[in-house]
Amino acid sequence: MKLQLTLAWRYLKGRKLRSFLTTLAVVFGVLIIFGMNIILPTMLAAFNANMLAAAGAVDATISHQTGGSFPPEVADGLADIDGVRAITISLNRVVNLPTDFVDDNPAITDRISAVTLIGIDPETARSLRIYQIQEGGRFLEPGDTAVTVISQSLADAYRVGLGDRIALPSVSGVVDLTVVGILPTRTVPGNEEVLVTLPQAQTMTGQEGQITAIDIALDTTDETERAAILAEIESAAGDSYTIGSLQPGSEMFASLQMGQIAMNMFGVLALFMGGFIIFNTFRTVVAERRRDIGMLRAIGANRRTITAIVLIEGLLQGVIGSGIGLVLGYWMGAGIVRLAEAPMNIFLNIRMGNPVVSPTLIATSLLLGVGVTVLAGLIPAQNAARVTPMDALRPTVAEMETRHRMGAGAIAGIVMIAVAIMALLTGETSFIALGSLLFLIGLILVAPLLLHPIAYAFGKLTALLYARQGIGDLAHGNLTRQPSRVVITASATMIGLAIVVALGGMTSSLSDMLNSTVRSSLGSDYLLIPPSISVWSGDMGSGPELTERLQAIDGVGDISTLRFAVTAINGQSISLIGINPETYPRVSGLDFLEGDETAYEALAEGRAMIVNGSFTIALAGLEVGDTVELATPGGDQTYTIVAVGSDLLNAKVVTAYISQANLAADFNRTDDVFIQFNLLPGVELESVDSQIKEVAANYPQFTVLAGRGYIDQMLELVKVLFLGMYFLLAFLALPSLIAMVNTLAISVIERTREIGMLRAVGATRKQVRRMVVAEALLLAAVGTAFGILAGMYLGYVIVKAMGVMFPISYMFPLGGILGGIAIGLIFGALAAIIPARQAARLQVVEALRYE
Amino acid sequence: MSLIHTENLTKIYGSGETAVTALDHVSIKVKEGEFVAVMGPSGCGKSTLLHLLGGLDSSSAGKVVIDGTSLAEMKDDDLTKLRRQKIGFVFQFYNLIPVLTAVENASLPITLDGVRPAEARKRAAEWLERFELGERLNNRPDQLSGGQQQRVAVARALVAEPALILADEPTGNLDTRSGDEIASLLREVTKKYGRTVIMVTHDPRIAAYADRIIFLKDGKVIDETILEKKNGKNADLLAGKMKEIGD
Ligand SMILES: Nc1ncnc2c1ncn2[C@@H]1O[C@H](COP(=O)(O)OP(=O)(O)OP(=O)(O)O)[C@@H](O)[C@H]1O
Ligand SMILES: [Mg+2]
Repeated sequence: MKLQLTLAWRYLKGRKLRSFLTTLAVVFGVLIIFGMNIILPTMLAAFNANMLAAAGAVDATISHQTGGSFPPEVADGLADIDGVRAITISLNRVVNLPTDFVDDNPAITDRISAVTLIGIDPETARSLRIYQIQEGGRFLEPGDTAVTVISQSLADAYRVGLGDRIALPSVSGVVDLTVVGILPTRTVPGNEEVLVTLPQAQTMTGQEGQITAIDIALDTTDETERAAILAEIESAAGDSYTIGSLQPGSEMFASLQMGQIAMNMFGVLALFMGGFIIFNTFRTVVAERRRDIGMLRAIGANRRTITAIVLIEGLLQGVIGSGIGLVLGYWMGAGIVRLAEAPMNIFLNIRMGNPVVSPTLIATSLLLGVGVTVLAGLIPAQNAARVTPMDALRPTVAEMETRHRMGAGAIAGIVMIAVAIMALLTGETSFIALGSLLFLIGLILVAPLLLHPIAYAFGKLTALLYARQGIGDLAHGNLTRQPSRVVITASATMIGLAIVVALGGMTSSLSDMLNSTVRSSLGSDYLLIPPSISVWSGDMGSGPELTERLQAIDGVGDISTLRFAVTAINGQSISLIGINPETYPRVSGLDFLEGDETAYEALAEGRAMIVNGSFTIALAGLEVGDTVELATPGGDQTYTIVAVGSDLLNAKVVTAYISQANLAADFNRTDDVFIQFNLLPGVELESVDSQIKEVAANYPQFTVLAGRGYIDQMLELVKVLFLGMYFLLAFLALPSLIAMVNTLAISVIERTREIGMLRAVGATRKQVRRMVVAEALLLAAVGTAFGILAGMYLGYVIVKAMGVMFPISYMFPLGGILGGIAIGLIFGALAAIIPARQAARLQVVEALRYE
Repeated sequence: MSLIHTENLTKIYGSGETAVTALDHVSIKVKEGEFVAVMGPSGCGKSTLLHLLGGLDSSSAGKVVIDGTSLAEMKDDDLTKLRRQKIGFVFQFYNLIPVLTAVENASLPITLDGVRPAEARKRAAEWLERFELGERLNNRPDQLSGGQQQRVAVARALVAEPALILADEPTGNLDTRSGDEIASLLREVTKKYGRTVIMVTHDPRIAAYADRIIFLKDGKVIDETILEKKNGKNADLLAGKMKEIGD
C-alpha cells in the first residue's frame, strides 16, 4: 500500500498544475453541496431557538397543525384533565411593521421591524406566567379596550411611558393603544410583544372568536407522569392539533426548501462535471503512463497493484478536493448566513446563530466528493490494469485497444441518448430529469464515434493547409494516428460548452418568463403592498372597510385582493391564497400550466382550488380532478383541484388558490394582505392619486405604489437576481472550461516529441507554432459545434422540466450560443498558444528526449 | 541441468496475408550460471524471443519451460509472481519510473513482493553501492546519465535475487564506455553471483562478454558459438560471423 501511495503522490506532484485543476473540479462540487446545505439547518436552528425562548415557563402549547387560528371551544374540558394545573388561551399574531413606523425617523436604522400582538385572557394568563409590572402601572383587566402592556425596551423604542399611546396597524386601520403597564426589558430573542385583551386582538386582526394557542401548565415535574398527561391532552384535543411549539416558520421553511433543492441540483451537476473531468484526466494519465505501467507489470506488479495506484491517486485527489471543498463550503455557507442575517432580522425578527453543520452532512459531502472521484477513476484504472508489459516495449499497441473498447461504449451511448429522447417525449418531469443525465453520459460515450470521421477529415484539411510547407503529411498523421487524443480533447470541449449553452438557455428562458410574469401578476395600475411580500403570515392585513372606501373613490375600477391562511394536506403545510374569482383575473391573473380561465368559475362555485407548480412537486401524484382533504380549524374539508397555475409572488412556495368566500367560511380569514386595482378607462392617475393615498394613510401596513413604478422596481430585482444566476453559471462553467483548457494543453504537451521531430526535419518555429495552434483551434471548433448542439438540447430539456413549476417556454439562447462560440475558440487558442510557444522554443534534442 | 529451455517456440504476429512469423520453431537451452548473448540482424526476432522467455507475451505455438514449469499453463497472477521472483529485466529504453528515485526504482520488485520498505530500501541500496551509485541513491532518473540509469536498471533486475536476468539491448542506448561497463557488470553477475543472463545485442564487442552466442535469422536459430576464453579476438570473430549472416 505504501508503494501505491508513494507513486500516486509523486505522480500528482509531478504534474502540479494538472493535479490542481482536476482537484479544483472536486472542490467546486463539494463546496456547493456542503455550503448550501449549511444554510437551511442554520435558519431552522435559529427558528427553533427563538421558538424555545418564546415558549417560556409554559409546559405545553396546543396549536392547530396548520399554525392557523381555531375556535376557543377546543380548550373546553382540557382544564379538567387530571394533572393539569392551569390553562389559558391566546391569539398570537406577528405584525410586520412598515419602515420607520416605530421611530418615525428615516435616519435611524429600524430596530423594531415586527412585533407579536398577543391577545390574552388577563385572569388565566397570570396563573401560567409571571408578569412583573413596574411601579405605577397595572396589568390588563377583562373588559379593557385599547390598552396594552409592553416591555420597557419596546416603550423606549416607541419613546413612550405610562399613559402614552402607541400605534399599531390593524385590519381596520391604525389603532392607538394606551400603555397601562410596563414589563422589564426584553432579554430573550424573538419579537417584542404587545399584550392586549383577547377580544381586542381578535378585532385588530379580524379574527373574531378565534384563538391560536392554548397554553397549559402541569402540576408535576415527574417526566413519566407528564408524558402521560400530555398524551391525554393530545388525544382530547384531537388529530388536527399539535402539542409543542408553534410553527410560524413553516411557510418560510417551505420556500427555503425549494431553494435548497435547486442548489443541490447545481451541486450535483458540478460534481458530475468534476467526475467527467477526473475521468478525462485519468484517461490521459493512463495513456501517458503506458510505458511506466507496462514496466511495472514487467518487473512484477500485478493487475490489482496497477488498479490500486490509479484509484489511490483518485482517492487522494478526492480526499484533498473534498477537504478543501468542505472548508470553502463552510465559509460560503457561513458567509451567506451572515448576509441573510440582516433580512432575517428585519423580516422575521430572528437572530441567526452559528452555522449548523451536522455530522451527516459532512459525511455525505465527503462521500459524494470522494465517491465521484473514485468512481470516475474506476474505468481508467481498469484500463490501466489491462496494460500489458509489452506496452512498455512497443509504442503503438495502445490505440488499437481503445478503439476496440470504444465500440461497446458508443453503442451504450446511443442507447442512452435514445432513452433520453424517449423520456423527453413522455413529458414526465422525473423521466426528463433522469433523461438529461443519461443524455450527458451518452454524449460522452458517443463522442468518439461522432468525432472519428471528423478527426479524419480534419487531418486531410490540415494536410491541405500545410501541404505547401512540406509538413502537411505529418500534421495529417498527427490527427489520424492518435484518434483517442483528438476525441478526448474535442469531447471535453463539447461537454464544457454544452453545459455553458444549456445553462445560458435556461437562464434566458427564465428571465424572459419572469419578465412576463412580473407584468401579468403585477400589471395593475395601483398596488398596496405589505412589508413582506413573500412571507404573508406576518403581514397584518386590512378589513373590508379599506377596499370599500377605495371602491367608493370615483375612477377606481376593479379591485383584487389576496388573503392568506395556512392549511395542510397529510401533514404537508400549504399556503392558501384567497382570491376573488371575479376580479382577480381582470386585475392580475395566474399563468396556467394546466387548465384555463374557466377554473376561476369553479372556485366561485364550490370548494375548488387551483394549485401551483411547487404544489405538484411537493405533493406529487395529485392531479387535476383529484380531491384532497384540507385541514381547517373546523376539521377537514374536501377540495377539488381544478387547475395548475401560478402567480409571481407565490411561485416558490407550495400554494393553493381558493375563493375568498371559502377562505372566510373554512379558515376564518377575511383580511386582505395584498391589494391591487385598476383605474377606470380614461381616468388620469393624477386625479385620483391624492384620494387613494388619503384612504390608505390609515393603513400604514401597506405601501401604495402606482403599478408601473413597482414593475420597474421588480424588474430591477429580477436583473439583480439574474446577475446572481450568471455568477453561479460562471461558477459551474468554470470547471468545464478548465477541463477544456486542460485537455487541449495536455494534447499539445503530449506531442512535444513529435514537434521536436518536425523541427529536426526542418520546420521553422513559426511553422510549428502555426500548425499546433491551427490544429488546436480546429479541434476546439469541432468540440464547440457539438457542444452547442448538445447544449441546446440540454437547455431545452431543463426548461421543459422547469415548465412543470413555472409557465416557461424555451428561448433560443442566441447570446449564449455566440458566447459559447467565442469561449470555445478563445479558450481553444489560449490552451494551444502557451504550450505551442514552449514547444516551438524547445531545443530539438531536448524535444526528442522528452518522454 | 537447464534453467530455461524452449521447444519449437513459434510466434506469429497478425493473421492472413499480413502475418509475420517472428519466431519459427526455436528450441534453445540455457544452463544455470550461463551468460548467453542472442545476436542477429534487425527484425530477426531477438526481442520477440526475449519477451516470450520472460512471459511478457504469449507464444503462438511451442513452449517455454522455466524450472520445469511451462509458462503457457500459468495464469496472469502466477506469471507476474514468477517475473517478480525469478526473472529480472533490463531494457534499452524507458527502464525506470520517472517519479521514483534511484533507490526506490531499484527496490521496486521486492517492494511489490511485500518486503518491508525499510528493508527493501536497504537491499536496493546495497546493490546500487556495488555498482558505484552510492552517491546517487536519492536522485530521480532525469538527474542520472544514461549509463547510470542503466546501472540502476541492472540493480533493480538483481535486487530480488532472481535466477534469470533478461536484457534486451541493454547497451544500445549508451556510449562505448558505458556499454562496456554494463556488459562487464552482467558478466560479473553470472560469475560472482551465479545468475543466468540472456542478453540480446547486435554489437559484437558487447556480445564478446558472453559465454555462448545464439545467432537468429528470420526467426530461426541458424548458428551457435561458444566463446572459449577472453582473448580479445572474440569481438572480431563475431563481427565476421554477423557479416556472414548478412547484417
Ligand atoms: N506487434 C507486432 N505486430 C506485428 N509484427 C511484429 C510485432 N512485433 C514485432 N513484429 C515483427 O516481428 C519481427 C521480429 O521483431 P523483433 O522486435 O523481435 O525483432 P528484433 O530482432 O528485436 O529487431 P531489432 O534488432 O531491430 O530490435 C519483425 O519482423 C517485426 O516486424
Ligand atoms: Mg529488438
